[in-house]
Amino acid sequence: MKKFLFLAMALCFLWSTAEAADTIKIGLMAPLTGSYASEGKEMKQVVELLAADLNAKGGLLGKKVELITDDDGSDAKTAALAAQRLTTKGVMAVIGTYGSSVTEASQGILNEAKIIQIANGSTAIRLSEKGLKYFYRSCPRDDEQGKVAVAAIEKMKVKKVAILHDNSTYAKGLADEVKPQLEKKGMKIVFFDALTKGERDYSASLTKMKGAGPDLVFFTGYYEEAGLLLKQKKEMKWTVPFLGGDATYNVDLLKIAGKDAVAGFAFVMPSLPQYLPSKQAKDFLAAFKKKYGTEPTSPYSVLAGDGFRVITAAIAKTKTTDPDKLADYLHTKFKDKDGLTGTISFNAKGDRVGDVYRYYKFDSMGNIVLQK
Amino acid sequence: MEDFFQQLTNGLTIGSIYALVALGYTMVYGVLKLINFAHGDLFTIGAYLGLTLLTSMGLSDRLGPFLGIIVLVLMVMGLLAILGALLDRAAYRPLRESPRLSAVVSALGASIFLQNTVMLIYGARSQAYPADIIPMTALDIFGLYIPVARILVLVVSFILMAALYLYIQKTRVGTAIRAAAIDQGAARLMGIDVNRVILYVFLIGPALGGVAGVMVGLLYGQIQFTMGWAFGLKAFTAAILGGIGNIPGAMVGGILLGIIEALGAQYISIAWKDAIAFGVLILILIVRPTGLLGERVADKI
Repeated sequence: MKKFLFLAMALCFLWSTAEAADTIKIGLMAPLTGSYASEGKEMKQVVELLAADLNAKGGLLGKKVELITDDDGSDAKTAALAAQRLTTKGVMAVIGTYGSSVTEASQGILNEAKIIQIANGSTAIRLSEKGLKYFYRSCPRDDEQGKVAVAAIEKMKVKKVAILHDNSTYAKGLADEVKPQLEKKGMKIVFFDALTKGERDYSASLTKMKGAGPDLVFFTGYYEEAGLLLKQKKEMKWTVPFLGGDATYNVDLLKIAGKDAVAGFAFVMPSLPQYLPSKQAKDFLAAFKKKYGTEPTSPYSVLAGDGFRVITAAIAKTKTTDPDKLADYLHTKFKDKDGLTGTISFNAKGDRVGDVYRYYKFDSMGNIVLQK
Repeated sequence: MEDFFQQLTNGLTIGSIYALVALGYTMVYGVLKLINFAHGDLFTIGAYLGLTLLTSMGLSDRLGPFLGIIVLVLMVMGLLAILGALLDRAAYRPLRESPRLSAVVSALGASIFLQNTVMLIYGARSQAYPADIIPMTALDIFGLYIPVARILVLVVSFILMAALYLYIQKTRVGTAIRAAAIDQGAARLMGIDVNRVILYVFLIGPALGGVAGVMVGLLYGQIQFTMGWAFGLKAFTAAILGGIGNIPGAMVGGILLGIIEALGAQYISIAWKDAIAFGVLILILIVRPTGLLGERVADKI
C-alpha cells in the first residue's frame, strides 16, 4: 500500500512538472470582488478572450498560454496575498491590477520574484519612481492625465476653479498635480477640499462650493460620488460645469445621475476602443461582443488586454521567457507597437509613453462625445 | 446667511433619515439592552427591496407616482417587519438567557450575514433607482432652492416619528414596551408578555429602517450593499447623542447630528465634517454621559 501511494505521489509530481513545461503561465490579478468587482470581471473577460484567441492560433513558442487569475479584492492586503500565491504558481508575468494603492502592495513581491508586472489601472506617479526593473504599466501616469485635464480646463476659458477630491491616493494625487499648474496659468483656485467617500448626501459639500463661486468644478474622485454630485447639483439648480478625472466614468454614472444631470459633464479618460479607428481595436470589439453579448465598458479592462498583448508579443519576438531578457527588450526595443488603445512604447521607468488620455463630454441624450 | 439656511435644510433632510434609522437602534436597546448591529443592514435591505418592487411591479406606472410610492413604502415596511421578527427569532431569542456579549457577537454575525446576502443576490455593483420617479423640481423659498423630494422626505419622517411617539405613549402595547424597557422582570410579574413586547420592537424598528432605506433610494438614486454600515454608524451615534433607549432622544439626536454635519462642512471643512460631528458627540457625552434626553445611566456596551 505504501509503495502504491509513493508511486501515485511520484506520478502526480511528474505530471505536474510535465504540465508546467508544456505551457507558458501568465497571471492576471484583478479585483474580482470588492468595490471594483465589475471592472475586474471585465478585465478577466478581456484577457481570457485574448488568451483563447492566441491559443487558437497556435500559442506561443509552440506552447499553449495558460492564464492563472487571482483576486485582489480591490484591497491592498488581499492583493499582497494574491501576488504571493501567483509567485508560487510558476507564472512568468502578471497583468494587473486596478487602483494604485492596491498595485503598490503587490509590486515588491512580484519584483523580488523576478516576475514581470504590467499594471493596467494604476496611475499614481510614485509607482514607477522606485526603480523596479520588472514593473511596467499599460496605463499612463497622473502627470499625463493632469496635463490633459489642465489643457481641457484652459480651453474652457474659466477664471475660478474649485477642486474636489476624496482623499484617496489617486484622487488626492491628481488634485495636487493639477492645482499648481492651474495657478501658473493665472487661474484662481477658490475651493480645494475632500469629500467623504461612500456617503449619499453631498448637498452640504455642494452648497459650500457654490458659495465660493467657481466657474468650473474639477472632481478627481470616483464615479459613484460623481453621479451623486451631478444629480444633487442639478436638484439645487446649480449650473456650473463639472470636469472629472478618469475614475469618474463608468456606465453606471448615467444610471445614477440620470440623463439630464449628466448632460454637459466632461471628463478625461484613456481612449475607449470604440473611439479608436485602428483595425485591431474594431476586430477585438466585435469578438468581445460576439462572445459576451456586450461591449466592454471600462477603459481599464481594455488596458489589461493591452498588457497581455504586450507580454505575449515580447515573448514571441525574443523567443524566451527569461525575465531579464524580456525586461531589457521592453525597456529599450519595444517601441510604437500597435495596441488596442493606440501605440504603445515604454520608457526607462516602465511607464507607457504616448498620448492615451482623451477629453470627453456627455451630450443631452446621454451619449459620450469625444472632444477635440 | 443664505448659505446658513441652505445648510440647515440640507442638515434637516439627512438628519431626519438618521433619526428614522436611529429609532430602530434605540428601541431595541431600550428593551433588550442590546445594540442591534444588523439594523443598518436591514436599512440596506429596505432600499434594495424597494428597488426590486418598484422595477418588477411597475407601481408608479400603475398607481401614479404619489400613490405608487405610498404603496411601495407600506410593502417594504411589511416585509422588513417580517424580516426583523425572523432576525430576532434566529439570532437573538436563542441567546436571551446567555451573557449579553454573546448576543452582541450574534448581532455582528447577523450584520455580516445580511450584508453578504445582499451582495450575493444583487451583486457588488451599486444599483440605481429609476431617475424619473420623483420629479427633480425645487421650491424657491426666499431665494433658497429646496428640492421637493427633500421636503417629502422630511414630511414623511416627521409623520412616522410622530405616529411612533403617540403609539408608544398612548396605546396598551406602547405602555407595555415602556414598562419592559424600565424593568423586564417587573413587567413580567405584572403580566406583560415580554417576548411579545420584544417581537413588537423587532417589527417596528426594522419597518422604520426599511422606510428610511426606500427614501434614501428615491432621494439619492444610488444604493450599495455596504451603505448600511455608513448610515448605521451615524444613526447609532445619533441614538447615543440623544440618549440611547429614549425614543424622542433618537429623533432629536438624528436631526442634531445632520445639522452639525452640514454646518461643520460649511464653516470649517467638508473633509472634517465627520470628525466635527463625532467631536461634538464626545463633548456632549462628557457633559451629559446619558445623552441629551437620556435619563437612566447607560449600561455598558
